[in-house]
Amino acid sequence: MADTYCPDCKRPTEVVFDHSAGDTVCSECGLVLEAHSIDETSEWRTFANESTDNDPVRVGGPSNPLLADGGLSTVISKPTGASGDFLTTSLGRWQNRGSNPDRSLIQAFKTIATMSDRLGLVATIKDRANEIYKKVEDQKPLRGRNQDAILAACLYIACRQEDKPRTVKEICSVANGATKKEIGRAKEYIVKQLEVELGQSMEMGTIHAGDFLRRFCSHLGMNNQAVKAAQEAVQKSEELDIRRSPISIAAAIIYIITQLSEDKKLLKDISLSTGVAEGTIRNSYKDLYPYAARIIPSWYAKEDDLKNLCSP
Amino acid sequence: MAARRNNPSGIVPTIQNIVSTVDLDCVLDLKHITLHSRNSEFFPKRFSAVIMRIKDPKTTALIFASGKMVCTGAKTEAQSKLAARKFARIIQKLGFPAKFRDFRIQNIVASCDVQFTIRLEKFACTSYGAFSTYEPELFPGLIYRMKKPKLVLLIFVSGKVVITGAKKRDDFYTAFDNIYSVLAEFKK
Repeated sequence: MADTYCPDCKRPTEVVFDHSAGDTVCSECGLVLEAHSIDETSEWRTFANESTDNDPVRVGGPSNPLLADGGLSTVISKPTGASGDFLTTSLGRWQNRGSNPDRSLIQAFKTIATMSDRLGLVATIKDRANEIYKKVEDQKPLRGRNQDAILAACLYIACRQEDKPRTVKEICSVANGATKKEIGRAKEYIVKQLEVELGQSMEMGTIHAGDFLRRFCSHLGMNNQAVKAAQEAVQKSEELDIRRSPISIAAAIIYIITQLSEDKKLLKDISLSTGVAEGTIRNSYKDLYPYAARIIPSWYAKEDDLKNLCSP
Repeated sequence: MAARRNNPSGIVPTIQNIVSTVDLDCVLDLKHITLHSRNSEFFPKRFSAVIMRIKDPKTTALIFASGKMVCTGAKTEAQSKLAARKFARIIQKLGFPAKFRDFRIQNIVASCDVQFTIRLEKFACTSYGAFSTYEPELFPGLIYRMKKPKLVLLIFVSGKVVITGAKKRDDFYTAFDNIYSVLAEFKK
């Protein structure tokens, strides 16, 4: 909308700019003052969905603030077809050999991305893990340790910070070569480093059986009733004096619930999906058995069903 | 020895192990020592020190070629010093001019029982969380790093507490007094 002189009305009138047709139209008499105006904003059709190969609008990937230069780079590639010219073939090779300050960082980010992909984690957790790694990267005491253990520990901490904890065994399963002990040690070290840097703002709550329950249940394919009953049972079991790791308690409760339902799961299946050893589930079951009446919700199983539970 | 403090609850931590070091102030030939004494072992490929044991007090010593010695396993400070002297005597008898310099107690480990079960998750979540590390997946006990006196306490659900890193007896008495009043809040 602007005020321009309209030749028909012979005075300045309110003029409307119609974007769809590119016309400047006088609002009083309807005269088209200017047609086919050229739009000077960016390209409307990006052709990205049409051509699969290269999108001429974009010149690189999304900028990554964690990398030294934001991920800007220019790569000399091999010319198509023409070959034999010494300069063109070697230029690419020479550029690659030059020192790249971020190479180890990019490699580490790629490994973290692979690991989080295997676990099916969201991008938020992966990005947080990248940030954590950037903070602790390349410090002298860390050099000696297994690189995989450090990356796995970064991922473990990122999951914990986002309140979606993963057991160390689960992280172990996607980290190639790192043992539970190595990841544990690396995690302690990184947490200490982060506290030093941030000044004690690291708040990672302790893990609870309930955090993992939902995931274990869906691995096993339990039905909704069973899952709800298991969650209630876990809540109630927190008050009891059971000296076992929360993961083992979760596994034992799943075992009890599935034994009470129609669809009984084998100890072996539960052991596989939770990562808890069969012997440990049996021992945890022994500890939980006396309290079974208290923790299993009454709407799920009656007293006599509980009697059917095999005594350990 | 300092007088025993009395905690209002009457519980006193008992010492389980004392580690001390002493400098014998002479270069030692470890092979000679191993060959001429009965109760020692020496595997240079595994570890470059002689491991010698005596029956009374029941202690073990690591003796290095530089003349420095580490004595572990004693239950009281006096026993540790006595044992270190016994080891030095053995080295002397073997023909080396051993002296007894700079006897220092490096670490005292003590344990006790508060007699009630403790809620560790609650403890780690409160203001003491800054000093505590509780990872049930990695270790069943809560690791509490006390700043003053500077030592480490391992607190378990059963109520048993292990105190380590103290250099003097008083240190861990103080530490236990400090922690007892706090733990009573988190009784299960």
